[in-house]
Amino acid sequence: MLAEKNILPILWGGVLVFSALVMTLGSDLKWLFEFPESLHVPIAGFLDWIMLGFVDLFKWLFRFISRVLEWPMRGVQGFLEWLPWLTFASLATFIAWQGGGRRTGILTLVLLLYIVIVGYWYEGINTLSLVIICIPLAVLLGFTLGVWGHKSPKANAVIQTTLDFMQTIPAFAYLIPILLLFGFGPVVGLIASVIFATPPMVRNTILGLNRVPPEVRESGTMSGCTPRQRFWWVEVPTAFPQMLIGVNQTTMCALGMVIIAAIIGGFEDIGWEVLGRLRKAQFGQSILAGMVIVCLAIILDRITLSYAKRQLPTESHTGLRIKQFIVGFIGISIISYILAMFIEPLRIWPKSLEFYPADTMNALVFNIIANFGDVLETSKNQMQYFVLLPVKLGFTRSIFPITWGFALTPTIIGIYWFIIFLGAAIALYFRHWKIAIAIPFIAGILYFGITGVSWVVYLVVLPLFAFSLGGTRVTLFVTGSLIFLMVSGIWVPALVSIYLCSVAVAICIILGGLMGIWASTSERISAIIRPINDTLQTLPQFVLLIPAVMFFRVGDFTALLAIVAYAIVPMIRYTEQGLRTVSPTAIEAGITSGCTPAQIFWQIKLKLALPQILVGINQTTLFGLNMLVIAALVGTTGLGQQIYLALSKVDAGGGIVAGLGMALIAMSADRMMRAYISRTSK
Amino acid sequence: MFSRKISNLILSFLLIAGGFLLSALQVNSEDLGDVDSPIKLAINEWTGQHISTHIAGQLLEKLGYSVEYVNAGNYPQFQALADGDIHATMEGWTNNLGDIYPVKKAEGTIVDIGPLGLDAGEGWVYLKFMEDMCPGLPAWEAMNDCAENLVTPETLPMGRFLAYPADWGNRSEMIIAALELNYKAVPGGTEGAMVAEIKAADAAQKPIFMMFWQPHYVFAEIGEVAWVDLPAYEEGCDTDPAWGMNPDATHDCGVFKPETMKIAWSGFQERWPAAWDLLSSYQLDNASQEAMMYEIDVEGADIVEVTGQWLEDNEDRWSSWVSSAMGS
Repeated sequence: MLAEKNILPILWGGVLVFSALVMTLGSDLKWLFEFPESLHVPIAGFLDWIMLGFVDLFKWLFRFISRVLEWPMRGVQGFLEWLPWLTFASLATFIAWQGGGRRTGILTLVLLLYIVIVGYWYEGINTLSLVIICIPLAVLLGFTLGVWGHKSPKANAVIQTTLDFMQTIPAFAYLIPILLLFGFGPVVGLIASVIFATPPMVRNTILGLNRVPPEVRESGTMSGCTPRQRFWWVEVPTAFPQMLIGVNQTTMCALGMVIIAAIIGGFEDIGWEVLGRLRKAQFGQSILAGMVIVCLAIILDRITLSYAKRQLPTESHTGLRIKQFIVGFIGISIISYILAMFIEPLRIWPKSLEFYPADTMNALVFNIIANFGDVLETSKNQMQYFVLLPVKLGFTRSIFPITWGFALTPTIIGIYWFIIFLGAAIALYFRHWKIAIAIPFIAGILYFGITGVSWVVYLVVLPLFAFSLGGTRVTLFVTGSLIFLMVSGIWVPALVSIYLCSVAVAICIILGGLMGIWASTSERISAIIRPINDTLQTLPQFVLLIPAVMFFRVGDFTALLAIVAYAIVPMIRYTEQGLRTVSPTAIEAGITSGCTPAQIFWQIKLKLALPQILVGINQTTLFGLNMLVIAALVGTTGLGQQIYLALSKVDAGGGIVAGLGMALIAMSADRMMRAYISRTSK
Repeated sequence: MFSRKISNLILSFLLIAGGFLLSALQVNSEDLGDVDSPIKLAINEWTGQHISTHIAGQLLEKLGYSVEYVNAGNYPQFQALADGDIHATMEGWTNNLGDIYPVKKAEGTIVDIGPLGLDAGEGWVYLKFMEDMCPGLPAWEAMNDCAENLVTPETLPMGRFLAYPADWGNRSEMIIAALELNYKAVPGGTEGAMVAEIKAADAAQKPIFMMFWQPHYVFAEIGEVAWVDLPAYEEGCDTDPAWGMNPDATHDCGVFKPETMKIAWSGFQERWPAAWDLLSSYQLDNASQEAMMYEIDVEGADIVEVTGQWLEDNEDRWSSWVSSAMGS
């Protein structure tokens, strides 16, 4: 431990000097700033070659699976289409009531009525049939993998890494391979949804089984269970509540994939409707259709959660007994069906009664543009000049008289670096060597820009950073990821992605943190923020892109807004949660020992909530990286764009390489942060 | 006993009669091909294509086929066509077929039926009111004089030019370089984003130059637009540097005129010969498509009704296609 403490500052000092030398003396060497092409390895071509070979060999098998899966899907779809909406809505309400009582029931009914009245029943029901087939598949697959991972630690290591990839590779990247393998049709969307929706089930199954108390297990053995009986009768029931949480998350993930699945087509679902509307830039229409997905998500979320909660002894609502429930179910089916047969609008909602306020919403957007266009433009430009461009290109390439009001003369540069070194020297004087190292590094990034720093510097600094946070394994992972990004020829777009994401995450931490703190102090604010968070997370992200583009045009700023809108949610949630769960005794202890409110907040509350907040930051980073593909829809040039380029060329290899690149960035960030979290919480 | 005998007799008569009837139909349907299985037509993401497809579908139904419409993305549909999961698509734009189309065509799994006949155009578009701030438009040389009006932070110190999404190629960028214009091309991201931009620019009366195409429904919704006069496209101007005003660069010219194509699965002609004949002669013009687009997108009319009405009003156009298909 002592050796490490001495060696780290020396290593960091050395790296700082090395980086400074590279950036100053090496500034004329082109190869330092553009990763040499001779070092590229044709990974994409190789993957493509493997992929095509694989497709040729096993196409028949996957096509067969595709045909088999298509039957139940068409069956469910046909059945739900045939069912009058009244029957479906009343049965769903009944099931919701049985699970969660009056509030859940009413909520379900209201949201379903929205879908009916807006006129998207048919599309919504088709989407639901995809989700209904996807969930049992994902749950079954997830349960099996989870049990395997629980029983064998060796398998568990492999499974965990695979899950990380399944969740961080953007679905766009594997749409093409799936299309080639399974052929065209709704099954492609189904498979993509299953891939994305299975991991939470696996994780929760493993977590649930691992958490079964040994006493419970022993009591099973003592009462004479065979291992198999013990597993099914003792362990699985004990882990059941956790598994239901897994089912809930799986459901949410499946719905999240609806839009992406629609890119292939083959199905008249709500995702296709949203995509078509977006293509026409019809904001009102796309948000009305997008809200259908939000409604479905909330309904499925509340129903599955309510059944998960019923397993807890604290839950007061018990619903009907099974027998009564079945009788009620059949009764409601018959009555509502007969009603619907006699009263046509109860079977198929007539077009004349639809409420579709899209034009009003569009008019509102245009009104804002016409009246506040200049204000919006100015605020966007300020943000570009003073934040985005410096981070991306550095002060050297962004400070001009027209942007900042002065030119970057040698004198100013001198003053800049003088202040930086003064700051570092002061930090060193007070023995904060970490701050003393951090100041010149951050100053350097701002001066040269994320895209202007040599790859050699990244290759030295980031592994050392990883090493300081989490030791050898994390270091190896980060180094490997960097090398992959460089040799596969996607280093430049990767840097653009990293730049956009880091600015977005920084904004999320500040804004989301503040909102979380605010929400933790007031029930009312918390109640207002919660549904907004739900909507932001389930509303297809594309939908908000349209007004954002209209207000701020195509470009990085619009993309930044979209990323922030989505990634800020976990930051708010975890901050609020962390602050709310600080134990009251700790706060009282602070009060009695005479702390001021400010001291209580900074020294006690924030400190105790820090582990939770760090988890929030980690989630926010992952969410932000997830959004990069969508950001490319408004013209950013990072890895997201590479995936679209591959998609249009049906270049399976290129798509996978870009997708892998994103996954590796996300996983590197995640591993470094997790290492830091586990160290601080110790 | 007796009654059963009679009913058996009647039944066998019926069967024989039915058999005759069926075989008679069989003679007729030999030209039609496999009438029992539905012909699947691709529905892509834009309204114009929906119109072209629904007209074709209703014409095929007039011949006695059943038609199924299948939603399919513009690029993924070619995989479906190659596998025979979808049988034909009515409006492929030759400037936006992706790289998958030539691959599948070379494989021989998809075939062109022929052009659809829309008079398609592509080029650089701007809002008409800009002619006050950039005197000299629509001549391309005039763009340089007003670049300062289109400067944005990301394009500084150049003007901003909204190009196609990156996955549609980078022709605008090359043209800007070849003509040495004071602009920087910014990728548009998606069609929706580009439409949103021009709608917003029109609403806020802000200048914009962008690459776009016609016929497009957005022109029915916004104020007047005009096209930049680029040096006319000629064969070779985008491949041969010597061509045109810039001796060192290709693309010192406009872009080639795109066509709209009807494309089918390779087994189409053999399976449904008459349908193939009909689709080969099928043509649609801009005016008809734009009028129907307006009714559907702006007035909210139903696509089946609108296309059905068009067929009713324009029987003189398609009756010869149907009769020649029947005669084949």
